[in-house]
Amino acid sequence: MATHAPQPPAGLPEPPEVPLVYQRRIRDLLIQALYVAVTALVIAYVVLQLGGREYGFGFLNQPASFDVGNQWLTNIDGTTNSRFTMYLVGVWSTIRVVVLAIALSTVFGILIGVARLSSNWLVSRLAMLFVETFRNAPLFVQIVLWYAVVLFGLPTIQNVINVGDFLFLSNRGIAIPWTVPDGGFWGGPDWMVGVWVAALFAAGGLAFWVRRRRQTAERETGKVQYPNRWALGLFAALALASFILLGMPVAIDRPIVEGTTYAEGMAIYPEFAALLLGLVVYTSAFVAEIVRGSIQALPRGQTEAASAIGLTAYQRLTTVILPQALRQIIPSVTNQYLNVSKNSSLASGVSYFDLFFVANIIQNKIGHAVEVFLLITVTYMLMSLVISLIMNYINRRVTLHSV
Amino acid sequence: MRLVMLGLAALLSLMLLAACGGGDGDGQAGGGNAPESVLRDVIDRGVLHCGVKGSQPGFSYLEPDGTFTGFDVEFCKAIAAAVLEDADAVEYLSVASASRFELLAAQEIDVLIRTTTVTAERDAGRGVDFAPTTFYTGQSFAVHADSGIFSTADMDGITICVQSATTTEQNLDDLFAELGYSYVPLGGEDQENQDAFIAGRCDAWTGDQSNLASRISQLPNAADFRVINEIISKEPLAPGVLDYDNAWKDVITWVVYGLINAEELGVTQSNVAAWSEDPPNTAVARLLGVPFEGGEVADLGFDVDPQFIQRALRAVGNYGEIYERTVARVGIARAGTLNALYTEGGIIYAPPYR
Repeated sequence: MATHAPQPPAGLPEPPEVPLVYQRRIRDLLIQALYVAVTALVIAYVVLQLGGREYGFGFLNQPASFDVGNQWLTNIDGTTNSRFTMYLVGVWSTIRVVVLAIALSTVFGILIGVARLSSNWLVSRLAMLFVETFRNAPLFVQIVLWYAVVLFGLPTIQNVINVGDFLFLSNRGIAIPWTVPDGGFWGGPDWMVGVWVAALFAAGGLAFWVRRRRQTAERETGKVQYPNRWALGLFAALALASFILLGMPVAIDRPIVEGTTYAEGMAIYPEFAALLLGLVVYTSAFVAEIVRGSIQALPRGQTEAASAIGLTAYQRLTTVILPQALRQIIPSVTNQYLNVSKNSSLASGVSYFDLFFVANIIQNKIGHAVEVFLLITVTYMLMSLVISLIMNYINRRVTLHSV
Repeated sequence: MRLVMLGLAALLSLMLLAACGGGDGDGQAGGGNAPESVLRDVIDRGVLHCGVKGSQPGFSYLEPDGTFTGFDVEFCKAIAAAVLEDADAVEYLSVASASRFELLAAQEIDVLIRTTTVTAERDAGRGVDFAPTTFYTGQSFAVHADSGIFSTADMDGITICVQSATTTEQNLDDLFAELGYSYVPLGGEDQENQDAFIAGRCDAWTGDQSNLASRISQLPNAADFRVINEIISKEPLAPGVLDYDNAWKDVITWVVYGLINAEELGVTQSNVAAWSEDPPNTAVARLLGVPFEGGEVADLGFDVDPQFIQRALRAVGNYGEIYERTVARVGIARAGTLNALYTEGGIIYAPPYR
């Protein structure tokens, strides 16, 4: 950062002497010294305050003696498993809600952001109403509202709403059909579903390769090659073919109500649903504003030029506007994603067993607040770093590829 | 000029250092082994900070007019009367179960009377010391009256509302491990659990039987729910104070014992004034801190004057009177339970006051 101070040209009067504290170098030094001193004092204070305690993470290996609800794909009980295992169950719950919330709020955010720019008066006003409502109410209030008012407002499980034996709604949650591995008509073993998933990956790779080739051909020859339609069609065909060839290894399981619980199918519990709804609706409003702002930041000429060469509104958006707007959108939207991961800690407000809730239970039972909160902080930091890494990668690709 | 500014800057940083250093020293004095008893703090302050629950009818409940009522609250009043000679010199803090021990450790509250169960881990590991048990209860389950659940044997696979970070949660886990049953826990604070249970989100709601009974009794549709007739744990509820503060703990311990002894000796809120003038026997005289037939007043060595139990009795009456005024009002009878006096088949028993 060394910069050459401009030398006054000869013959001009000497500049007046600058007092020491106004000199950049001295001032920087002073500020840094002060910063170091304050940091050292804070650390010393914390160490002195906590000096008498015992430290260590050994307590995490002891049996948890509490159970964690709202598990998905896992059923780990706290009687025999360690506290750390239960913490990881909480981490898994957090990851689940964060990934879904990010994906859904991106989709809804883009839709609503584009809708706000619609020339249809009703559509744009509705989008504005959505944004202004959900952006300006605290997230915690929204989550509790979804939980206590909307989801608890559903009837009890004894009076469950049954939509064609397909969808069940009650205040025990929403039950939807779900897939189960199945021997299929060859009567094969359950792991056939794994083979099918592998086949899906292969089909995806192949489709991606075809798309690339067609894109290149399109660019070189100038003829329309429909890369996306080809890729999607190929993937669908391969998926269906392998599915039938393997003897349909996946069956759809409809939910049923058994006593006071949902059995089979997939139950989405109100706690999870409320947190997800809250996060998605809240974040969508912000993403929508980012999308709108980024599109409006483009010169109007882009839209007009695209219209002038006869592109439809949809083509205009997907081939001209959004690719350019993405460069604005991605860095801002990354911040929203980071917020989602941190805001997910509001889960304890609706009794959803996320990592913060589980860690809090551990801390309340055994103490060790310093270690537990260190663990929580590091976990959230890791999550944020992973999100940042992924987003930076996407950002690099977008800036490189756009012409 | 330059020197002046530099000097000023140096002075400023020195002052900052000094300020931080000063704060440091204070913190240490408060955080280490307190040489001063909380008793002295309370007397100096003139008001007792009592940590209660504030949401459990019969034990501690914030009334619509802003006052607190209940069994735990009466003990706060008794302590304030004993130490500060004024039963109303209490500041009640509604504390969450999750933060109660931290608040005690930070001395935000002087005493924790919040339906807190005595456990070894809390006593040994959490820096809490417990005064004598004031109420014996046990964990049970509330269910919907029309459900087919009558005992824990009917509970396989159900959803249970349970307050997180409590002994309740741990008992539940132990019980279901022993039964080999599965269950889905739903954890919240007491009120959230109650709402979820009433809404039908969970099949059963577990907690101290006394808590469940008192809360259900307050509901307009109390008949739609019932508490099962099975107790799965021992939950002795006792006031908690900070470790290593004998002067303070002794006072609280003997206020509790004093109120129990008073019941046994027949001292009541209505006769305490008369008996203080003219005690019927030496035991009553000692308890009230008055001379018996012209003798000496026994000084038993407390850090408060000998009449502290007398003042508590004047303010709130004896143990039985407190029970009748608070817990009995929410439908929890005393006769035949553990909370009856030991002379009447219960286990409420106090060592002699002498």
